[in-house]
Amino acid sequence: MEPIASRLRRAGFAAVAFATALTPAAYDPAARRVAANQIYFSAWQILPGFTLVCAALSWLLIRIVIRISNEFGLSAYALEVTVRVLVLELIPLFAALFVGLRSGAAINTEVVLMHIRGDLDVLQRAGRDPLRHELVPRVIGSAVSVTLLAFLNCAVALLLTYYVMYGASPWGLPQFLRITGEVFSPLATIGLSLKTLLFGVVVAAIPITSALAVPRLQRMAPVAVMRGMVSLMLALVVIEGTFLAITYI
Amino acid sequence: MEPENPVPPAIRHVELKAALLLLLMVALVAGFVLYVLYARGAFQETQKLVLIADDSEGIAVGANLTFSGFPVGRVQRIELSQNGKAKIEVEVPVKDVHWLRTTSVFTLERGLVGGARLRAFTGNLDDPPLPAGAEREVLRGDATEQLPVLLARMRQVLDHMEHITADDSDLNAILANLRAVSTSLTGRYGALGGLLGGDENAKKVIEALDRSNALLASLGDVSAKLGSTLDKTDARVFGAGGVMDQTQQAVVQLNAVLSDARSSLKKADAVLVEAQKVGANTAAATEDLAALRAEVEASVRKISSLIDEVNRKWPFKRDTEIKLP
Repeated sequence: MEPIASRLRRAGFAAVAFATALTPAAYDPAARRVAANQIYFSAWQILPGFTLVCAALSWLLIRIVIRISNEFGLSAYALEVTVRVLVLELIPLFAALFVGLRSGAAINTEVVLMHIRGDLDVLQRAGRDPLRHELVPRVIGSAVSVTLLAFLNCAVALLLTYYVMYGASPWGLPQFLRITGEVFSPLATIGLSLKTLLFGVVVAAIPITSALAVPRLQRMAPVAVMRGMVSLMLALVVIEGTFLAITYI
Repeated sequence: MEPENPVPPAIRHVELKAALLLLLMVALVAGFVLYVLYARGAFQETQKLVLIADDSEGIAVGANLTFSGFPVGRVQRIELSQNGKAKIEVEVPVKDVHWLRTTSVFTLERGLVGGARLRAFTGNLDDPPLPAGAEREVLRGDATEQLPVLLARMRQVLDHMEHITADDSDLNAILANLRAVSTSLTGRYGALGGLLGGDENAKKVIEALDRSNALLASLGDVSAKLGSTLDKTDARVFGAGGVMDQTQQAVVQLNAVLSDARSSLKKADAVLVEAQKVGANTAAATEDLAALRAEVEASVRKISSLIDEVNRKWPFKRDTEIKLP
């Protein structure tokens, strides 16, 4: 079982990473290159595929919600339910899960290997801050990727919802605007933005902290990855649950 | 010691691609914020309308005010006013405010499913427009809140029904009486027996009717006798030489007497005229008599004085004086 101290350290790392990300001095060319690489791997490579898969799932879900709403005679609520479920909750979580499983696992493995091999110490001895040059850029890259994927697919889902509900006609626009305007209340909008940002940060921060927490033994590498992934999963669920509770309770 | 190739082989234009994605992200976030602001009416000019309701249950901030099914306003704020009523502030976009007039009616309806609905009804769109910040009472219509009242009334109605259909109820008594009446209707004296409460009474009524018939027959005889009497009277009175003829003759005679009397009166009238004339003459003569009398008096006085004169001058005058010695 992971000790409490380690969890606190993880939270501390996330905070330090966030603070570093907000410091312009941290963006030297080397750090920028690492962040750019991270964005490239986490977002650019998967953007078309993820958008396609997400659009297909969104379309399926929209159809299901609208059909069930019609069957129950509650079609007036179909749009609101779709937007609430899909845009506010499922797509950001789906984006975070996808980036976490793909890039989080990779970051975890990469950092634990660097940790076991002592690469980070070498960097530190060479006068480069491993936190600023290797770790924080990865967190920033992940945060940008999750935010980008989430918002892009939310936009796609909104367009798809409109199309499925009203077809290509522009006459549904006032109603669509009104209902989505009601859904995106100030609380929901701030919640969505904050939640997406948190998802992006933890997707890289938790694997990195897990990687750094294990002893420097080759056999501990898989353990670090496993712990990192489980912790990440738990963190995502906790964040999602917390925001749901704040929004609806 | 250099790290063992921790960075994968260089990717072409990686920073450019990352910058593009970053730009896309910023654009998406900015677009999202603008969309939300626009959808929530942040760029719309609005006018405030305050609705006063007894109960704002079911109304939430962001709920719509609809007119003919189209949303024309949005609830912005709900608070409890000083007099304990719910104060619902509705923002109405200026472009839609023309649907609301001073005579508009606002209702709050609660269905069985979903939240409450605020609706506006405008009877005459030519009425003056609703001023900004206007306060209006909300009429309530609630499908569910009528249910308890309805159930209470239903129970009352059922109680009454039960009371009516009970064994000792008035309705049962009436039905029993009705049955007795219908039984008597089929008896010897039929409806009469039923109406009078027994066959004895009905019998008496029938006897009375028989007597009446007998009475009516004797009355017929009486009227026949009366008829003959009347005939005789007619002959005596109006027949030839009857009372009427004699009366007529008497009238003729009376007429002649009256004519005579009239001519006598005319004569008397002429006498009276004459008498009047005599009277008038007498009056004139009387007036002359007075003058004459005056003249006679004057003449007498003159004669008297003349005699005195003569006496004085007359030598043989009588000595009227007594001479004292």
